[in-house]
Amino acid sequence: MVMQHGPGRPVPVVFTGTRRELAGLLLRGYALLLPTIGLYRFWLLTWKRRFYWSNTDIAGDNLEYTGNAMQLLVGFLIAVAVFLPLYAMVFYLSTQSNQAAIVGYGMIGVTLWFLAGYAIYRARDFRLSRTLWRGIRFDQTGNGWAYALRRFGWSLLLIATAGLAYPFMAASLWRYRYVHSWYGDLRFGFFGSWKQLALPFYLTYGAVLVVGGAGLGISMALGVSTDSLAEPRAYLPLVIAALLIGALALRYQARELSSMYSSVRLGGAVVTVTVSARALIWQYVLCGMALIAAFAVLAIGGLVVLGVLASEAFAGGGFDLEIFFRQMQGSLITLAAIIFGYLLMLGAFTLMTELFIGLGFWRLIATGASIAGIESLNVVRARGEDKALAGEGLADALNVGAY
Amino acid sequence: MTIVGRYYDGQSATVHTVALHYLAEYDSGTLLIGDAADGSEIARWAASDLYLVPGRRDEMRLAASGQPAGARVVVRGADTIARIRATLPVLGTKQRRETTRQRRLAVTATLALVAVIATYLYGVPLLASRIVGLVPPAWELRLGATVASQLQSSLGGLQICDPDPGSLANRALTRFGQAAMAESGSPFALDINIVRSDIPNAFALPGGQVFFLSALLDQAQSPDEFAGVLAHEIGHVAHRHGMEQLISSAGTGALIGFILGDMTGISVAAGLGSTIIDARFSRDAERQADAFAAQVAHRLEFDASGLVDLLNRVGEDDDFARALALLSTHPLTDDRKAALDRLGQDRPSGLEPPFTPAEWQAIKAMCGGALDQRGTPINVGATKTK
Repeated sequence: MVMQHGPGRPVPVVFTGTRRELAGLLLRGYALLLPTIGLYRFWLLTWKRRFYWSNTDIAGDNLEYTGNAMQLLVGFLIAVAVFLPLYAMVFYLSTQSNQAAIVGYGMIGVTLWFLAGYAIYRARDFRLSRTLWRGIRFDQTGNGWAYALRRFGWSLLLIATAGLAYPFMAASLWRYRYVHSWYGDLRFGFFGSWKQLALPFYLTYGAVLVVGGAGLGISMALGVSTDSLAEPRAYLPLVIAALLIGALALRYQARELSSMYSSVRLGGAVVTVTVSARALIWQYVLCGMALIAAFAVLAIGGLVVLGVLASEAFAGGGFDLEIFFRQMQGSLITLAAIIFGYLLMLGAFTLMTELFIGLGFWRLIATGASIAGIESLNVVRARGEDKALAGEGLADALNVGAY
Repeated sequence: MTIVGRYYDGQSATVHTVALHYLAEYDSGTLLIGDAADGSEIARWAASDLYLVPGRRDEMRLAASGQPAGARVVVRGADTIARIRATLPVLGTKQRRETTRQRRLAVTATLALVAVIATYLYGVPLLASRIVGLVPPAWELRLGATVASQLQSSLGGLQICDPDPGSLANRALTRFGQAAMAESGSPFALDINIVRSDIPNAFALPGGQVFFLSALLDQAQSPDEFAGVLAHEIGHVAHRHGMEQLISSAGTGALIGFILGDMTGISVAAGLGSTIIDARFSRDAERQADAFAAQVAHRLEFDASGLVDLLNRVGEDDDFARALALLSTHPLTDDRKAALDRLGQDRPSGLEPPFTPAEWQAIKAMCGGALDQRGTPINVGATKTK
């Protein structure tokens, strides 16, 4: 189906980054977030992208991320300016009658959902236009509003069809993104279709219904037979069903990523991506175990610290909340303890998800990819200079950006 | 020994394997980029134009100003990188300069943010009261009506104990309200409602409505306590605190969203942050309302610190409340009592009592409360009118 230029054998994509290096980078970044009141996040994101990009090696040449923190900061400020009128509107609505407020909040929620599509597209534009490979820049054309409208229309259809329209939506959005992507003066092509997604999606859909229904049914039967809703055993089937559904969803996601990425063409270069469902699920299992371990360490550490600070509250083997609060002596210490504890937990959570899920996804896709006919790209020329694109703006404010 | 690297010209995607040579001249130098296979020259970059681009740890990416944006020389291997750095100290200098620039940017941005937060914390109480002056009273009245209807539905109906405005108790309350509001210049007509409820509480809504719940009235042992709490709530109306807090908490949400980069404000951190700041503003408002009550007590014969006694009877601060005082919307009762006693020190004597004994009895009986069981009001009223 695809013309291959020359004898080129597929070259694998290599990922050279290690978890340890990313962990060091993230911990350093989190530490700097404190004195900068969170502003360091723009620098941290830049460092993180440099790590991912520069460790992704395609045929001997790695990617380069050319964006910087200042661009992200400026984009964020612009987004805030866009958000303030919306914010004022929410405030005005909150002072109105119940019905007007509910209608108004609903409309703002819909507006945000629509804007999220625009934000996702612009963020992708920002990342692509700041990615170099072999000294040539990637880019994205197309219209962010058109993409947002498309995504919005599809999501309405998705609701109307109880999710059954998903394969059509996914294929349509993947096509829009890749047909408008460029490497230098060479445009990407996309040959995927809903037909590749339909069978795995509907099978997964059916399986989720069966598993969910079974879990709910058994759970209710157990709850009824023991005549008590508080019976913990009654919830076990629900938990098992939820875990199974999670695994099924990941299995489908691996399928979708594999078949959609493998439908991407760039001139004579053909991408093949194989993401193993088992490996993807394993990343989540690892992340879960790491989270449990991290929170256990935090809990033990917290108890030790509390034991030292408020030893009398623990006297006599038990824990006396009243003595404990008396010993916290004043509001400031308590407040500091609450905030510090919260930050530690949040830090542990984001660290583990980034180390296992974030890195896991990137590595699975990169190392599962190979590119045939890559020699055909030698003739690609650079396109015109970078157009003005100030940061990721909305994406940062809406928190929809990935990587 | 030549250094071998990869060269991208930034114009086509062709990769050249190149040999690098450094041509030293007396005040500057040139990097010669030659084809590794046949030695033909591909490009020459002046040493002063060279700078480093961030990349992988074991890799050095060189770029030069004046060249196409994507033009790079990429060299791998720690030894090679060290050699190039030693030959071209200008690279290190430029890299350090860039690091300093980034650091300065981060520090400047942080200082700007600190200034914004400080301005916010100290400016908003001022600003909010100014903005409140700009809010049309009609809007605030409408808002108050909305809040009242929301309360109706959440509390399961607010039943007014004595709907007759001409009754002895209601006339006394209206007179008290007028006396309290006399010097405030408020655009609102006060509307005092004693309503039936099991919850011991009293509150003021935007637009001038004050609600005093029967459970709190039942707990009041003297006109001092009742008049103190009522004057406090009227203080909220006079200062338009409801509107002011609405405005300042909207501002807090925007600020916290700005700091955390989460404008939707749904994260725990955003919630906690706004709680701390809003609680601070709310405590300020409570102190203002207390001061208002103390002022009213300069015109009518009652002791405003009675309000603390009544509130203390309903719910005393425990160690838990003390430990979490920074999150609380009210100041600690001990502090309020001390402040009110201080404000009440030079109260003029010989003032009119707020309620006559008969009126006080009528107020206590408004919600059909079992008056006999308490039996104290007449005595208390009598002692105070002396």
